[in-house]
Amino acid sequence: MTHLSPLSVPYRAAQRSVSIVFALVFIAFTGGTAFGGFLGGLGAVALVGFAVLAIAGYEFAYFQRFEYELTTDTLDIRSGVFSRRNREIPYRRIQNVDISRNVAQRLVGLAAVDLETAGGGGTEGSLRFVTYEEALRIQKEVARLKRGDTAPDAPEPDREVLFELTPRELSIVGVLSFDLRLPGIIFLFGTSIFPVVASFVDVPVPTRGIAAGVVGLVMLALLVAVISWVAGFASAVVNYYGFRLTRVGDELQYERGLIQHYTGSIPIDKLQTLTIEDNPLKRRFGYATLLVETAGYTPGAENGGGGNRARRGSEAAIPLAKRDRVRALVEEIEGVAEPAFERPPRRIRRRYVIRYLLATGALVGALYGVNVVFGGIPWYSPLVLVPVAAVAGVYQWRHRGYALTENHFVTRNGFWKREMRFVPYYRIQTAIETRTIFQRRWRVSTVTADTAGSLSIVGGDAAAVDIEDGDAATLRTELSDRLRDALADRREERRRARQAALGIDVAEPDAERGVADAVVTAEDGHSASESLEEVGPRAEAPSGREAETAPDEAETSSESSSNDVPDEPTAEEEESSWDDTSPGGDESDEEQDDERNGFIWGDPTSTAADEDDADTDEGESADER
Amino acid sequence: MNRLHPRIRLLWVARAVIFALVAGGVAAAAMLYTSLPIPVYLPVAISFVLLVVGVGYALLRYQAWGYEIRDDSLYLQRGVLTKVYTVVPYVRVQHVDSARGPLERLIGLASTIVYTAGSRGADVSIPGLTPDGAEDLQDRLKRLAIRAEGDDAV
Repeated sequence: MTHLSPLSVPYRAAQRSVSIVFALVFIAFTGGTAFGGFLGGLGAVALVGFAVLAIAGYEFAYFQRFEYELTTDTLDIRSGVFSRRNREIPYRRIQNVDISRNVAQRLVGLAAVDLETAGGGGTEGSLRFVTYEEALRIQKEVARLKRGDTAPDAPEPDREVLFELTPRELSIVGVLSFDLRLPGIIFLFGTSIFPVVASFVDVPVPTRGIAAGVVGLVMLALLVAVISWVAGFASAVVNYYGFRLTRVGDELQYERGLIQHYTGSIPIDKLQTLTIEDNPLKRRFGYATLLVETAGYTPGAENGGGGNRARRGSEAAIPLAKRDRVRALVEEIEGVAEPAFERPPRRIRRRYVIRYLLATGALVGALYGVNVVFGGIPWYSPLVLVPVAAVAGVYQWRHRGYALTENHFVTRNGFWKREMRFVPYYRIQTAIETRTIFQRRWRVSTVTADTAGSLSIVGGDAAAVDIEDGDAATLRTELSDRLRDALADRREERRRARQAALGIDVAEPDAERGVADAVVTAEDGHSASESLEEVGPRAEAPSGREAETAPDEAETSSESSSNDVPDEPTAEEEESSWDDTSPGGDESDEEQDDERNGFIWGDPTSTAADEDDADTDEGESADER
Repeated sequence: MNRLHPRIRLLWVARAVIFALVAGGVAAAAMLYTSLPIPVYLPVAISFVLLVVGVGYALLRYQAWGYEIRDDSLYLQRGVLTKVYTVVPYVRVQHVDSARGPLERLIGLASTIVYTAGSRGADVSIPGLTPDGAEDLQDRLKRLAIRAEGDDAV
């Protein structure tokens, strides 16, 4: 069990004191001196002193009580002064390990460590604060233990710098950033301050009438624009200063930040979606943004700050880079190039044009209404937008599309904010086809691939919009089929990796393929382990003992992730216990064996039985099969 | 394709009726207790229109609903104005609930809700099952999900 850094006691106490003490000082001194003069002031000092002592005491107790430990398969945290809490986080559930340090923390050499799991909600493990060295050690250790390396001095996997933001790019990011949260505040502030300013400025500023209103509005707009631009520039530079994305083994690591420094890691196999985003301006100059998305993870939410970061909740997002570099990076991370997109049918162009025309029409109608009430408004002016609507409709059609690559479902949508999403098939959760009443008129549908990504909550799912409804139905099933195949492939891959690691001779391709084939064909009633044992002797493993243990190991590895610590039987135990409790005693042994190996897919007997079950289950309901 | 239990129409119609009555009641109350110039027939008209639309919608909704338990995925189709077809692969099922609301209990029905880790996870609920049917379905889906297990959820 390890404690936090002792320095965290004074730091936390100071952090916590500042606001409380300020409030207390204010209340006590104004109140105290008013009531009791000097004596009251003294009392106030005593009160403040007491509060500080109490805080310090609490923080010391917190420090005393807070312990964490990196065991072989969980990270244990015991904490709590008044109510105690023991928490164990399995390593393979940990997604991100983030380290952040602000200026003060950097001065005293402290760092905050946050561990995220896919659970969404809040941060699962939060260490406030440890020394920076310790934080880096934890990050590294968690990565190592997650990989399942038991030897503490196992060689660190290769580091490869994938991306570094050049100062030039950083300044472009800054120039293009507007902090849009500020204008609201400024607007409130500005409207109240404008008359005051106007009264001081000794130019003949018209303070009454329409002219004053116009000048005021223009000045206000300029002010807002300039201030939000400056704020955006500053926050972008502060946030992305020194941005670097590194690949360490099967993790991505990023670091960035000028005032608050962040370091974090994202396991690549937890990536949900990659998004390349651009707009006409960025397209014109050949730039793009890359967003990296993991499950249920909304980092930076509690830290506030940085408009750009909080906007999307994607820490490892590359704010801006040359399009080619972004593409190369996507290819590097996911192994997928930008595909040729299949566009919606041509007739849909008319739909978009009509849609824009309707919008224009609505605008004209609204203006006409205003004109009727107030008069003197050229309500027909939006009609000049009609040709624009036609062009926009075509453009919208052009930028839409989807593609099925070998391992990814790729979609592209949007003209002003064009987003290209890469969803690995094995990350798809559900496939949803929707057809609105308007889409039905055009015989088109939208197919959405739902993932567990955090951006999707905001409505950024990968969707193939307005495709022929026949295609949509096929796409829907295709996606779920490909998910199934991708998962099977992954299992296979893991088992092979595990077998290779366990010493079944990799240099003997025939034997290896024999094992794999035997498992694949194990649907016909042979249990996979039997087949494995049959093949076992042929495999000519270096030592007899290893060959014997291999099939068991293979069985475990097929269902638990490769990040597993070896011989961790929990998954299997859990599963078999579920089986025991489930009343379905009709499951034969073969099925269970297949199931353990993850090969239920192609099993015709079990599915036929299921169909029958379905009928009897819903015996009461009308069955229109 | 499995259909919902026909009695679910009763539930949905009842809901539409209640909604129509409440809306009409609110309008009537507004007419009686405020000085707004609301004509007498308006509350009745509101109720009537809502009733017709609501009942029609409920019946169409029943028509549109269907689900199927396939080899490796749960398939649902539903929607009156917007048709929605959902494929939920069993591998992705996190947990399965069966639930009974007060109205559902009154009418003797239950629903099964399937959760995935996706951002629209809890959307997948199948209403209009008999209590036993809902439990059976829950159990079957649970077993299918366990059998399809083999990879981490997200």
